Amino acid sequence: MHQKSQSRMSRALTPLIWIGPAVILIAVVVIWPVVVMIQSSFQKISRFGVVQGGNGFDNYTKLFDEPDFGGVMFRSLIWVVAVVVLTVVLSLALAQLFNQKFPLKRVARWALIAPWAASVLMTAIIFKWMLDPEAGLVNMILVDLGLLDALGGAEADPLGKASTAMPWLVFVAVFVSLPFTTYALLAGLATIPSDVYEAAKMDGARKLRVYWSITLPLLRPALTVAALINVMNVFNNFPIIWAMTHGQPGYSTATSTIFMFILKGTDIGESAAMSVVNFGMVIVLTAVFLKVSRWNTEVAR
Amino acid sequence: MNKKLVGAATLGVAAALVLTSCGSGGESGTGSGDKGSGGGTVTLKMVAADYGGGPTAEDSGAKFWKGVTDEFTAANPNIKVDVQVINWNDIDKQVATMVQNGQFPDILQTGDYSGFVKEGLLHKVDEILSPQTQADLLPKFAEFGKVDGAAYGIPFVSSARGLFYNKDLFSKAGIAEPPKTWDELKAAAEKLKKADVAQPFGLPLGNEEAQGESFLWFMGAGGGYKDASGNWAINSPQNIEAFKYLKGLHDAGLTTPNPGTKNRKDVWEDFGAGKVGMAFGGPMSIPQFEKAGLTNFGVAPIPGKSAVLETTLGVQDWIMAFNKNGRAAEIKKFFDFFYSGTAAQKISDTYKLLPVTTSGIQKLSSDEKLKPFLDALPNATFYPFTDPKWTEVNTEVKQSIGGAITGDAAEVLGKIQKIATGS
Repeated sequence: MHQKSQSRMSRALTPLIWIGPAVILIAVVVIWPVVVMIQSSFQKISRFGVVQGGNGFDNYTKLFDEPDFGGVMFRSLIWVVAVVVLTVVLSLALAQLFNQKFPLKRVARWALIAPWAASVLMTAIIFKWMLDPEAGLVNMILVDLGLLDALGGAEADPLGKASTAMPWLVFVAVFVSLPFTTYALLAGLATIPSDVYEAAKMDGARKLRVYWSITLPLLRPALTVAALINVMNVFNNFPIIWAMTHGQPGYSTATSTIFMFILKGTDIGESAAMSVVNFGMVIVLTAVFLKVSRWNTEVAR
Repeated sequence: MNKKLVGAATLGVAAALVLTSCGSGGESGTGSGDKGSGGGTVTLKMVAADYGGGPTAEDSGAKFWKGVTDEFTAANPNIKVDVQVINWNDIDKQVATMVQNGQFPDILQTGDYSGFVKEGLLHKVDEILSPQTQADLLPKFAEFGKVDGAAYGIPFVSSARGLFYNKDLFSKAGIAEPPKTWDELKAAAEKLKKADVAQPFGLPLGNEEAQGESFLWFMGAGGGYKDASGNWAINSPQNIEAFKYLKGLHDAGLTTPNPGTKNRKDVWEDFGAGKVGMAFGGPMSIPQFEKAGLTNFGVAPIPGKSAVLETTLGVQDWIMAFNKNGRAAEIKKFFDFFYSGTAAQKISDTYKLLPVTTSGIQKLSSDEKLKPFLDALPNATFYPFTDPKWTEVNTEVKQSIGGAITGDAAEVLGKIQKIATGS
């Protein structure tokens, strides 16, 4: 009797040995930092990182009173929606293209990986250089084409104004997000069995109809994962904006991650509060996204 | 998942780990110190910032300091100086970690000293510097090393600002003399514009150095970050006037386009490439311009509203000694060696940094291009960096003062003033 219960207990504990390391890893790398982050947001912390005691909700009050806070949060939202929607739409088209048979397909697929293989920071800096008012390649081409009067002026400086800088930032973000998304969708396309297409053909469905009624629904698991990862990635994207505009002029191209980093230079507690808000935003965005994409409903088979 | 956030949080974790290991770290630190003095020789541990181009560069800080310390040890065989050179981006963080660990260096050379004073970690200057050397330091500079009347920070090197102008472009535009007043500056800029110079005046108000550029214009109108009685006065009528003048320049197309997003580095590169008529710069920009191939440039005092400035923006770096290891006598020897010997001048020559001593200025006074800086140096004006609010003000100025060119100057400056005076 005694022996039996012991063996049952040890059997119950066996899985722990296997999942233990993973649990510890998650606890140390994910949960503990989140706890510290939330804790920091309620503390008064000196410039040298020394905790000077509790600060109640003061960090949050100060953060919400920042005149630029509202604009920054609104911009972050627009930024995520714009980049993710454009990325997904373009990737769907690209995946479809790369799923066809055509000469040099292998080369084309390799070329698609390039923006992914290059460091994001590097890509952003290269684009900044290409848009340099005096010596930027893009501007030089525009001048040669007669679309721009001269180098060096305000017209040749798209990153100098929020209205022209934002589209360029979105462009670069889409550029670096395309490879991953396209490959995720390509993998999704590969899982769709060819007999469903044959059946549709037999029924006389037209191409657009086939895409809408067969490809898209069957692609949904891949699409959901790809888009969700993009939402989180883009929301937390830092290097593109930091390297290209530094959030300037003023805070007019800053998103919440940029704002958090700038705050870190002046008030670590307030920056931690911003992190918590950021964290909350990601969770809310993810929840909304999963709700909208009906994560839980079974895909028709 | 959330990389930035995990980063911020790991910082917190690291800090926590560091704090818990404080006790043991401190003891082992003292232990090794005792061993050093027991053997007859004392090893001073020094941490210094790198003024050169990194560890592999010809002018690396490590090489510079090795030369200095070898010479010092030759003269003082029982004192060794072990120098750890750290780049500017990391030095503050690494020193903070050392301090939190209780592993105090004996000597620290960096951009600020004031943070350590409050914690009682520093030797007073009287304990570690001979009266002769103290008397040689420029009084205005030394004054900023004081906290509540007692000096802790020793000025190490300095830098100042002047007006750089491209002589080729000036003669092409038919301008005989560098401008002395704002009106002359605007007239010169208009002539340069007519001579097809894309950026008559290089105006970097982006995040790199907006606080310095703005300060020079504030001073031109008789303003500054603080008023005569030491209160923040960022939105003073003088400062607003300065930015209205700049707005006029900008709107007439006489400046760098979108100044609020342009960094000093970019403007200096354009100046070196011969595309900018005039720009504010410092001694450290001289080698950069020459390297870019521009040699025919002049340096003049900063133009003000009605006359050239008597002062300039002075920036100084500091050297200080921690009091935890009890080696004041050895440190004193090293400091006196540094300031009275050739080392201080060598650093000026190597890095085009300006001296902080009267004797140092005399030694350099024959250099034509350094003259405007040296003349203004004894009367330099500094950032109000001893004010605890300065870090916040500085960050906000860097980020948003460019908006005073495109938007309403009073409003933008008012916002920064609010940050300075807020709780």
